[in-house]
Amino acid sequence: MTAPLSAPREDKSGFTRDRAMWGAIMLAPYVLVFAVMVVYPVAYGLWLGLNWNSYKALFADPIFLRTVVNTIVFLFVAVNLKFLIALLLSGFFVQQRAWIRIVLVLFILPWAVPSIPTILSFRVMLNPENGMVNQQLFQWFGIMEGPGWLTDPTLAFMCSIFVHIWKSLPFWTLILITGRLAIAQDLYEAASVDGANRWQQFRFITWPSLATLYVTSTMLSMIWTLGDFNSVYLLTGGGPGDLNHVLATLGIRYMRNNNLDLGIASIIVAMPLILPMVFVMVKRLSKGADA
Amino acid sequence: MKLVRHFAMGTAVAAVVAGWSGAAAAQETLTAWFTKGFYKGEDDALLAVVDKFQKATGVKVELSLYATEDCVTKSVGAVDAGTPPDVGFCTTYDFRTTGKWAYDGKLEDVSDVIEPMKAEFQPMALSTTFLMNGKAGKKSYYAFPVEQQMMHITYWKDMLEEAGFKEADIPKTWDGYWDFWCDKVQGSMRAKGKRIYGIGHPMGIAASDTFYSFLTFANAYNAKVVDENGKIVLDQPENKKAMVEAVKSYANIFQRGCTPPSSVNWLDPDNNVAFHNRTTVATHNATISIAGKHMDDMNNPSLTAEQRAQAKKNYEDNIRTAEFPLKADGSKMTNLAAVKTAVIFADAKNKKRAKEFMAFFMKDENLRPFVEGSAGRWVPTTLKGIEAPFWSDGKDPHRAVVYKQYKDGTVPFQFVYNYNFTTVNAENVWAKAVNRVVQDKVPAEQAVDEMIARIKQIAG
Repeated sequence: MTAPLSAPREDKSGFTRDRAMWGAIMLAPYVLVFAVMVVYPVAYGLWLGLNWNSYKALFADPIFLRTVVNTIVFLFVAVNLKFLIALLLSGFFVQQRAWIRIVLVLFILPWAVPSIPTILSFRVMLNPENGMVNQQLFQWFGIMEGPGWLTDPTLAFMCSIFVHIWKSLPFWTLILITGRLAIAQDLYEAASVDGANRWQQFRFITWPSLATLYVTSTMLSMIWTLGDFNSVYLLTGGGPGDLNHVLATLGIRYMRNNNLDLGIASIIVAMPLILPMVFVMVKRLSKGADA
Repeated sequence: MKLVRHFAMGTAVAAVVAGWSGAAAAQETLTAWFTKGFYKGEDDALLAVVDKFQKATGVKVELSLYATEDCVTKSVGAVDAGTPPDVGFCTTYDFRTTGKWAYDGKLEDVSDVIEPMKAEFQPMALSTTFLMNGKAGKKSYYAFPVEQQMMHITYWKDMLEEAGFKEADIPKTWDGYWDFWCDKVQGSMRAKGKRIYGIGHPMGIAASDTFYSFLTFANAYNAKVVDENGKIVLDQPENKKAMVEAVKSYANIFQRGCTPPSSVNWLDPDNNVAFHNRTTVATHNATISIAGKHMDDMNNPSLTAEQRAQAKKNYEDNIRTAEFPLKADGSKMTNLAAVKTAVIFADAKNKKRAKEFMAFFMKDENLRPFVEGSAGRWVPTTLKGIEAPFWSDGKDPHRAVVYKQYKDGTVPFQFVYNYNFTTVNAENVWAKAVNRVVQDKVPAEQAVDEMIARIKQIAG
């Protein structure tokens, strides 16, 4: 029988106290930064958004409902199209060939370079009079009035979606490539031996393995897409005729018109869309951590 | 010993306090925020006034010059925070804030400065500073009419000739005028295989040029929007009918393809750029800044001799400034003028000196060099100023037209009578109505009904 290897009661409590104190000291900078950088701005924004008249004015603005519809369409089309393409491309880029790796490097470039100059260069290229695209149409085919890429509301909206996808597609393709690389190759070898074709391999091996990553990434992308200001604002300014605003650009438009309250309100109305996504995201990630 | 120490300490403290207050007395200051000029001449003239005022009064003027947009944004923030400068002059105050500030009681009543010099101003320009204070429940002078701008037509004379026309061929009637640029001039250029447009016609929602141009069209059809008490009268049948015609007329130029398609997304500089690039033969613009750019270039030592010579030729021969054509009913066009206002803030720390400074600044010998320093971009508000040789001698081809327009008389914007029209303009309900017609293909009557409903929501 040996005595238990424990410190005297007094020392243990002192040790615990010290640990707690050091823990608090180490945590303090983070708590402070979190309070200043996250809690205060969010709380202040919500406080500014408590003005009921702002919401009345917001809903009375004819452009607002159009903006909400635009935002939903933008989210639905851009996110789904982006992930569908990313899924297909990830299957291509996951192949271990030298030339494909070189192509992958080029493919990643749009994501790696800064947004503002690249999107503005699209704006210049798509200018109906002097832009490279319509100039070429004029020079090659004699088309005097090329398509109104940024002046026709439907085309301009499609261009905004295109630019958004072009910009963010490489990132999500990389994520899905990573997911594909984590799948054990012997599963494919066994399936091949059993006579499974490429589609069956995708359906019964790749997709079940990728599904969690795909859905989680999709939700994260939805949150980011909802806040994407650059693709719309830099390309069309929400135009033509204020017809192509999304919530992220409408808020800025109000603020530029010295209407801070409406700007805040237009951002806060997106909360019902964002909060459920954040909640589901956190829940999914918690499950992943528990597993 | 202790007593001596206390005495020494007390003496030192007293000396510091006395020095401090003495220094403070010697450094009475006045803060003034101005828009930085487009041209060096404006800033030089302003600095000269400041220098003279400092020497005359011993008051130090802390002058800050800001870019156009920064100036108003910074001012709005400072007024909201209760820490404005003493004097403010930003060239977009009139469009954005002066009326609202006056209504909210944020401006100092400057009647005691204005009254003695009332007779020196053009009556319309002066009337734009007689504003309603909602708190006091009365109108009074709450701003200084420093300078103003008007709408002009600018065209390339050499391009007109290239299209096979002379200046004498330009019609004077409203429809005939626009048809000429659309069909004849553009048509001729297209026949030569050139992708050139007849008119640079601002259509962008975010451009103040668009509402300035559109409201000129509304004037051409006599569409009255508010009365002098600020009451909306646009819904009266004759005004509504006139507004429908104005919307149709404005939209028609785009629908006929006479303006570059990108004009639906234009910001304020874009019609200037299209004109300088010779993408358009003509454009309408508030101020003669398009011609002014070439005048600036011809005196710019950093350009080559050839470039300066070309700029001189452009300014003197190739580019023309012109008046708008006759109204749709054949009468003379009224010139919509925007009067740029300086203010003294109600929360200013040194209102007494601010009034002294503005009274000094508004004197003809000080104001005139400042306005003329803008090389014709801004027009005087004073009767003496416009009669100065700079405007009236007829030697400058562009300023001579501005002088004539001024003499024809001007009318103010609606926001002078109802400050909520600053919001109406910021939201650009006018451009939205036009865009509803050209983009959504709704009838002009429906677009105007929507316009009236929205105006009533904002300003009713």
